Amino acid sequence: MTVPEFLRYDFMQNAFLATTIIAVMGSLVGYFVVLRRQAFGSHALSNIGFAGAAGASLIGAEPMVGLLVFVLGAALLMAWSGRNVSERDVSVGMILMFSLGLGALFINLYSANANAAIGILFGSVFGIDASQIRWITITSLVVLAGLVAIFRPLRFASLNPDAARARGIPVSLIDTLFLLLLGAASAIAVPVIGALLSFAIFIGPASAAQAWSGRIGVGLALTVLLSLGESWGGLVISYYANLPASSCIAGLSFGLYALSRLTRHGVSTSTSH
Amino acid sequence: MADEPLIRAQRIAAGKGAASVFEALSFDIAPGSFTALVGPNGAGKTSLFETLLGLVPLRAGELTVMGERPRRARRYVAYVPQASKLLHDDALIGREFVSAAYHAHRWGMPLPFGRSHQSQAVDEALETVEARDLARRRLSTLSGGQRQRLLIAQALVNDPSLILLDEPLSQLDPAARDRVVSVADVLTRRGIAVIFSTHDVNPVLRVCDQVLYLAGGRGRAGRVDEIICDRTLSELYGTPMRVISEEGRRFVFEGSKRRLQAVGQ
Repeated sequence: MTVPEFLRYDFMQNAFLATTIIAVMGSLVGYFVVLRRQAFGSHALSNIGFAGAAGASLIGAEPMVGLLVFVLGAALLMAWSGRNVSERDVSVGMILMFSLGLGALFINLYSANANAAIGILFGSVFGIDASQIRWITITSLVVLAGLVAIFRPLRFASLNPDAARARGIPVSLIDTLFLLLLGAASAIAVPVIGALLSFAIFIGPASAAQAWSGRIGVGLALTVLLSLGESWGGLVISYYANLPASSCIAGLSFGLYALSRLTRHGVSTSTSH
Repeated sequence: MADEPLIRAQRIAAGKGAASVFEALSFDIAPGSFTALVGPNGAGKTSLFETLLGLVPLRAGELTVMGERPRRARRYVAYVPQASKLLHDDALIGREFVSAAYHAHRWGMPLPFGRSHQSQAVDEALETVEARDLARRRLSTLSGGQRQRLLIAQALVNDPSLILLDEPLSQLDPAARDRVVSVADVLTRRGIAVIFSTHDVNPVLRVCDQVLYLAGGRGRAGRVDEIICDRTLSELYGTPMRVISEEGRRFVFEGSKRRLQAVGQ
């Protein structure tokens, strides 16, 4: 079997490797984001990373470090800001707003490189180098190990927090740990897929998987397959059609979501007995 | 040991804020018994549950659950919140929802060879609450009564000795109420003690062994006739109360004003 043309270039190999790792890790974390209805928090964390990366560039530090610091800090703030999801919406929005304001300020001060800002907001998958691949791999492994470690209490606390607390499960701690994992996941996804488009990996596949299966095991497997499909498909389309990769992945993700809404079954509402 | 009560509360007081929600409350819960926890909104029914779970500290008195301090007895106790208060994701099927509680206090992921145990526990729990037909249905397609039964099944998978049901009848129609009460009654026949909180005692009159009535920061436990009567309720509310029995149902009136009181609705 010969290597397809688009995989003959280093930048394409790196792009495939990076999106593959992020598609698997991001969609698995995203499954729980959708289950816990924290999609807004997920979107906010990715965008907060933008401010971190911009700030790091300004002081001459590694943008990835700035991303991680901002996103993990914001995750902690969110965890402490309110117990239930509806309470949290406003505080998440305020943290997001403040971060974007900071991001705008940093970009303004560091006017030399507006392209870097575009790269963070919309992703630059074809600009990923070997050292970033190493970052992405290590962080992804840590996130996945964390997810496996808290899987059982996280599952129960997501579905029935009051009963979990009564059982002696440290629900607030689980909540905080999950937000930190989500923060780390966002931080490595942002340079690849883009802060504004991370929904394509984190939310699109998970939400389609949950429309198609009511089982967690099947749903997780389906999420990974859908996520890989849209990421690889997006890269190939991008290469041949000469379109931005993030746009292609985002388009496929939206298509998946729309298809899942049209075809989901067994979710009609009934109010009998 | 057989005569030992599951819960022994002696003159307990508890509460989160500056003042106690209830004081000098004494009662016993026998293994496999059905206790109706009755009282108007705000009387401290949920606070009492939290006290029994060790989530709210005791301010006075002595409380043991299975001979231990409440915090240490949690693994024998399951708490079932109101179905309407849940933020669960509606996309999951009944069986997934029920099995999520299995060994949920352990870290890590369930291993493949542990599955048969889990599967057996979940089957039994679904059987007990007569919800086998709900196992493959998505939660979003279920009624309030069906969800309430799945919540009880979820509480059963870890094999508890005591189940605390927090207002399980709220927002249910009469047929669904009867079904939930019957399911709770079945649990007691399996040796599980049930404390069933409700603001209306009538739906559980036919099954309850004792009534624990909370009102006015006080509480009394005993047989239905000892508690839902003019004298005891007047003492608890601190104002003249009248109980009228009609066709096996009890209606509580506030004596002075001749007005239907908050026990029924």
